[in-house]
Amino acid sequence: MSAESTTAINRSIVDLLDFIDWSGVECLNHNTAHSLPNAIKQGYREDEGLYLESDADEQLLIYLPFTQVVKLHSIVVKGPEEEGCLIGPKTVKLFSNREHMGFSNVNDFPPSDTAVLTPDNLKGKPVVLKFVKFQNVRSLTIFIEDNQSGSEVTKVDKIALFGTTVETTDMKGLKKIEDNH
Amino acid sequence: MVLEATMICIDNSEWMRNGDYSPSRLRAQADAVSLICGAKTQSNPENTVGILTMGGKGVRVLTTPTTDLGKILACMHELDIGGEMNIAAGIQVAQLALKHRQNKNQRQRIIVFAGSPVKYDRKVMEMIGKKLKKNSVAIDIVNFGEDDDGKPEKLEALLAAVNNNDSSHLVHVPTGPNALSDVLISSPVFTADGEGGSGFAAAAAAAAAGGVSDFDFGVDPNIDPELALALRVSMEEERARQEAAAKRAADEASRQGKEEEPLSNSQDATMTDNTNNTAAETTEKTADPMDEEKSLLERAFAMSMGTSVSDTSMADADTSKATDEDKELALALQMSMQDDTKDPSNQSDMSKVLGDQSFVSSILTSLPGVDPNDPSVKDLIASLQGQPEKKKEDEPPKDDK
Repeated sequence: MSAESTTAINRSIVDLLDFIDWSGVECLNHNTAHSLPNAIKQGYREDEGLYLESDADEQLLIYLPFTQVVKLHSIVVKGPEEEGCLIGPKTVKLFSNREHMGFSNVNDFPPSDTAVLTPDNLKGKPVVLKFVKFQNVRSLTIFIEDNQSGSEVTKVDKIALFGTTVETTDMKGLKKIEDNH
Repeated sequence: MVLEATMICIDNSEWMRNGDYSPSRLRAQADAVSLICGAKTQSNPENTVGILTMGGKGVRVLTTPTTDLGKILACMHELDIGGEMNIAAGIQVAQLALKHRQNKNQRQRIIVFAGSPVKYDRKVMEMIGKKLKKNSVAIDIVNFGEDDDGKPEKLEALLAAVNNNDSSHLVHVPTGPNALSDVLISSPVFTADGEGGSGFAAAAAAAAAGGVSDFDFGVDPNIDPELALALRVSMEEERARQEAAAKRAADEASRQGKEEEPLSNSQDATMTDNTNNTAAETTEKTADPMDEEKSLLERAFAMSMGTSVSDTSMADADTSKATDEDKELALALQMSMQDDTKDPSNQSDMSKVLGDQSFVSSILTSLPGVDPNDPSVKDLIASLQGQPEKKKEDEPPKDDK
């Protein structure tokens, strides 16, 4: 399925890393030594030694607000691939535009989408999401429910989000354009 | 200055009637709670605090997290005693109350006062701890009161399950003369607040401790570093001066007689009046009266330092402050004190000093070659008895030499 859909005139699928609002990023149940920036930030996520790990049990709840409205197309979740260490995530639920969720209310409403990851996905194959459900995303909550082997701890090497931006005015860019005239 | 929402779980079970923490365990808790609320709101005005009770018929939330201190204090007054403490339910209800806080940006913290025995076993406590950790709730446990076997271990298990980067603490408060609040003030419950909170805590500690201080000059270097440093510096300067002046004193003593000494000592006497020195040691004096006054300030300070083991820190601070801040101001202070004794002239100095038997005696005795039991010396001392003022001000002297 072609990602460059007909409605997008000049937009292509980009990595939404630049649009994450870092001041509002939260992660619940993560091990403080192995925290969220390890999995998301440029450079950190490519490093195999840096990963996100869960703490008290195998679930993780990640909240990512965006600086502007985006449409989410696909997601890449990489986990450790070694044979004996299949503790990458398996069931991943995504909620759009829900703020401040906790583990107690993840089951209260249906997720915008659910992805069950295969070992292929853990190697880096993107999971294409239901685009129609993610047309107007201000914030994304990622709930990692369990992992491949059912162990106590879940490890995530990398999380990457791909999508497009919605036509919103970038105020900084506005001034610049004025100058050009 | 961490933005935080706190729920305080109070134990109001029957065990809290006990008076081993004065006035009763429940009121000791209430005092501690008021202090905590004050500290939290002071460290960050947006912090909220809520209260719930764990005993009685069941867990009851008295106030949800609020910034209104008045409401919290009002609830503390209405506490009554009864039932058994249900710590597991209390913590879980606290967690729920925090979950529904208005400002979701606040961190979550629970403070539990565990005064009665814990009837749950370790497993349950650990599970509760895990749940708290998963939802990034920190907990402070105050272990006091009943100490049955197993309670400390259970609370430690709870702490270990919750603790994330040392954000949670467990404080044991034994029975004893120190009030529950005082012990808590110096514990991580207060001091983990950060800069603002610790300032409040330190001030409260200073007020509560009432001047008892472990520090050299009665001034906490943390509270007032400049003052402590100035005190130290002036102390060292004074020591150096004393050594030099001691030599001169031996020479001049015989030459100038006791008139100079009493004069110098009067200055000392007025300055150290507050400190209740009755047997101060003087070892030197200066020749020139005007210089004397300035040097006497320092000497007075040194004297008070030299003799004070039991002097109040207030007095030390006073004299040292005079030395530090403004010598002229100190002089004016001295003058006014001298004026109070009704003799406005220079004579006041003399009469005061002559009347201060203790000073004169000690000076005379410290001079080489003078024996206090010498009849001529005794006559001299007796002759000084005619001076009224100084004797009223000073307590009956004791020769310590």
